[in-house]
Amino acid sequence: MTDRHAPVIATVGGSAASKLQFGFLAATLFGLALVILAPYALDTYTMNVLTRSLLYAILALVLDLLWGYTGILSYGLSAFFAIGAYALGLASTHLGFTPLIAVAAFAAGLVIAALVAALTGWLAFGRGVTPLYVSVVTLALPIVVKQGLLSGGVFTGSSSGLSGFESFDLEIETWFRMGGIALVILTALCWIFVRSDAGRVLIAVRENELRCRYLGISTVRVKTWLMIVTAMIAAVAGYAYAAYTVVVAPELAGFEFGTEILIWVALGGRGTLLGPVIGALVIDLGSAYLGGSIPYVWKLVVGLAFVAVIVVMPRGFLPLFSSAWRWLAATVLRKPVAVAMDAGLRLVCAPAQETISAASGAPSVEIRQLSKRFGSLKVLEGIDFAASPGELVSLVGPNGAGKTTMMRCIADGAERSGGEITITGHDIARLPPERCVAFGLGRKFQTATIFDALSVADCLRIARTSHETPSFVHRETSLALPQAALDVITATGLDRMLGVEARQLSHGEKQALELAMVLALEPSVLLLDEPTAGLTKSERMLIGSILTRLVRDHALCVLLVEHDLDFVREISSRIVVLHQGRIVLDGTVDEVVGSALVRDIYAGGHA
Amino acid sequence: MTSQILDILTSAAILYVVAAGLLIVFGVMKIINFAHGGFLTMGGYCALATADLGLSPLFAIPISFLFGAVVGMVVERLIVRPLYSRPLDAILATWGLGIIIGQLITLIYDRGVHFVQSPISGAVDVMGESYSQYRLVMLVVAILFGVVLAAVLHGTRLGLMTRAVIMNEDLARGLGIDSGLVRFVTFSLGAGLASLAGTLITPLSSVDPSLGISWLVNAFMLVLVSGSSLVSLGIAAVVLGGAQVLISSYANPVYGSMAIVILAAVLLRVRPQGFAND
Repeated sequence: MTDRHAPVIATVGGSAASKLQFGFLAATLFGLALVILAPYALDTYTMNVLTRSLLYAILALVLDLLWGYTGILSYGLSAFFAIGAYALGLASTHLGFTPLIAVAAFAAGLVIAALVAALTGWLAFGRGVTPLYVSVVTLALPIVVKQGLLSGGVFTGSSSGLSGFESFDLEIETWFRMGGIALVILTALCWIFVRSDAGRVLIAVRENELRCRYLGISTVRVKTWLMIVTAMIAAVAGYAYAAYTVVVAPELAGFEFGTEILIWVALGGRGTLLGPVIGALVIDLGSAYLGGSIPYVWKLVVGLAFVAVIVVMPRGFLPLFSSAWRWLAATVLRKPVAVAMDAGLRLVCAPAQETISAASGAPSVEIRQLSKRFGSLKVLEGIDFAASPGELVSLVGPNGAGKTTMMRCIADGAERSGGEITITGHDIARLPPERCVAFGLGRKFQTATIFDALSVADCLRIARTSHETPSFVHRETSLALPQAALDVITATGLDRMLGVEARQLSHGEKQALELAMVLALEPSVLLLDEPTAGLTKSERMLIGSILTRLVRDHALCVLLVEHDLDFVREISSRIVVLHQGRIVLDGTVDEVVGSALVRDIYAGGHA
Repeated sequence: MTSQILDILTSAAILYVVAAGLLIVFGVMKIINFAHGGFLTMGGYCALATADLGLSPLFAIPISFLFGAVVGMVVERLIVRPLYSRPLDAILATWGLGIIIGQLITLIYDRGVHFVQSPISGAVDVMGESYSQYRLVMLVVAILFGVVLAAVLHGTRLGLMTRAVIMNEDLARGLGIDSGLVRFVTFSLGAGLASLAGTLITPLSSVDPSLGISWLVNAFMLVLVSGSSLVSLGIAAVVLGGAQVLISSYANPVYGSMAIVILAAVLLRVRPQGFAND
């Protein structure tokens, strides 16, 4: 945990936070008052329709978490809704309706939804699958569930489903209020969650999944858990739907309904929580009123609006309204509107930890007989290599020699074709990057790989996720970073830009930020792929001095791929020359620089 | 036995014809066109409209292809082009377009089910078994589809440009190939083929506004397991279509109808490149 008495390096933001919290509390209370008082003003038909819409809005809300925040485009949320609905429908129809059975059906719906979601996540987020594969699985799921319900004969009621089963005997007003309160509270909880430190992780996964994994975050686990939780919420909404309407039909599971939820979210505004809720309420209510009088035209209008929103304003309607409001407030009412800012943040130094390799005494990296083939093309062959703590080893060689491929093989167990690799004494076997990171590895990519939509402070905090479990409800007001990361930040001036969105940084600042993020992991082995490419001379020297200090003071082991031989000569303790997938030379700076072989290779001669 | 083999081959042929347009769009543009279902439906109604006009069913073939291709041109310009860099949004937008096409058709024709007279009907004797003549025609049609598309890709200048874009779009653009034009023509061709396929399958099924949706998902799965190769699509259609036929006849038609979806999902998990050989 953070040391409260640590010296504060920098602070940012502050005053807007309490105002935001007050607004949130007021909005929640207003929402609750609205749903409790609304039955006095509404006629029975509208209330009837709206109760259903409120349950649909819950689906839109959780789909927004999946798609809007985390980037998982799911067509299959409907399947979980149907699982919850049929849990009650089947139990009540075949076993009768008693309090015990109602509770058992509820629990069964939750458990089945969670299991199916876990299976879906296991399938959808497997390694090496294409991004489109999530769509394949979430399309297959509702189709399978729907076909299963259709072929269930008398048991599931086939195409006509089940209806008229016994259920809770409640007034329509009570149903409405329960649905409304559930929606308001769930929206408020989601609001708190997405603004918490854990919520930022979702955005980080959406923005750059690869970077997350190389920061030691198991994105598969994050996404699977999110899938399970959203599936369970959808199942509860389905259960309530069945209890209220006493009708369940296979169409509830279909991907057509699943896609309709996507339409609500897209129109309302993905990634805004409130937008999808409003989208679901407006469109479902509209369907009920206009779907009767002008049925095809209404659906046509929704279709047109959907296409237009996706093409022209992918952020949906809500951001449009809120910016219009801001404009109106600023120009007509001449009243400044508070823009949500980062909560006050203090940057402090994390207590130094003993690095993993220093503790174990094993070599930082050890490679035996590494090979990598693409079909019949051998990119790496027979690589034997070891590096110890306190070494700065540069990998040099002409383009295509296999330098970056070697880095990739060290950082991801699935990459290599043959051979063995250990990091700080741990065999990486076929383990994914996040597990390699847990062994003490840090990797900086050739092009700056950061989270564009997050602030500099949030990027750094995501990098600390494996050290400090992020809170699900609030934002930590201090950010503790190891000294090495702080050095990079202060030396490059990033400490004065903590609240700036990462996409607005310059090229050099982005490179520095990524380096700081990797150093925030407190790695024992640092892989750097051309860290100085595109940097100015002074930035280059700065990074060089930071690296040499890390190696000297913290006994880090650094592997560096670099084309700038002057830079290499200045900072390396050892140089390895790769040529055509093999190590041709491994020695001190003087040995390599003076070698005729190296000159031959770089001059294009035959080695 | 003979009839089962014929069932497998003709089912595969129908799947091939239905999925071909989706495949070339995916191959070139790396975009899944979910309006494919809408275009199929459109083709079905082209056949209906041709019949209503009292024209020979053969006229429906050029009419539906041209109609589909023209609609495809408009759609490419208005909807698909702005979404090149957002492939997942392109799926959603084209799905929305499918809804629009379905609703427009419903507004014009109502939701009812229509039937179109088949130009070729009756059965023919194949090795001692009588078999639906039209399904056998579809076998020929599928082969024609494959041959013509391969001829265009490998025998024309546009085909050469298209193959260059498939392999490496950035490089192709660097060499002065107008990849925008290639995409435009590809999408239009894909829409035309989808519409044509919709016309060709009408003698085998009824025509209604949801005609295309049932085919869309299977076509989507086939394309994903085939990558961008017409040959892989042939293999995928025979293997997955064959599984569908066999499971339907030996187990239960409901399982059969899910066969393609489930097998494709499992295959892609185990082997992300599917039937493509890279």
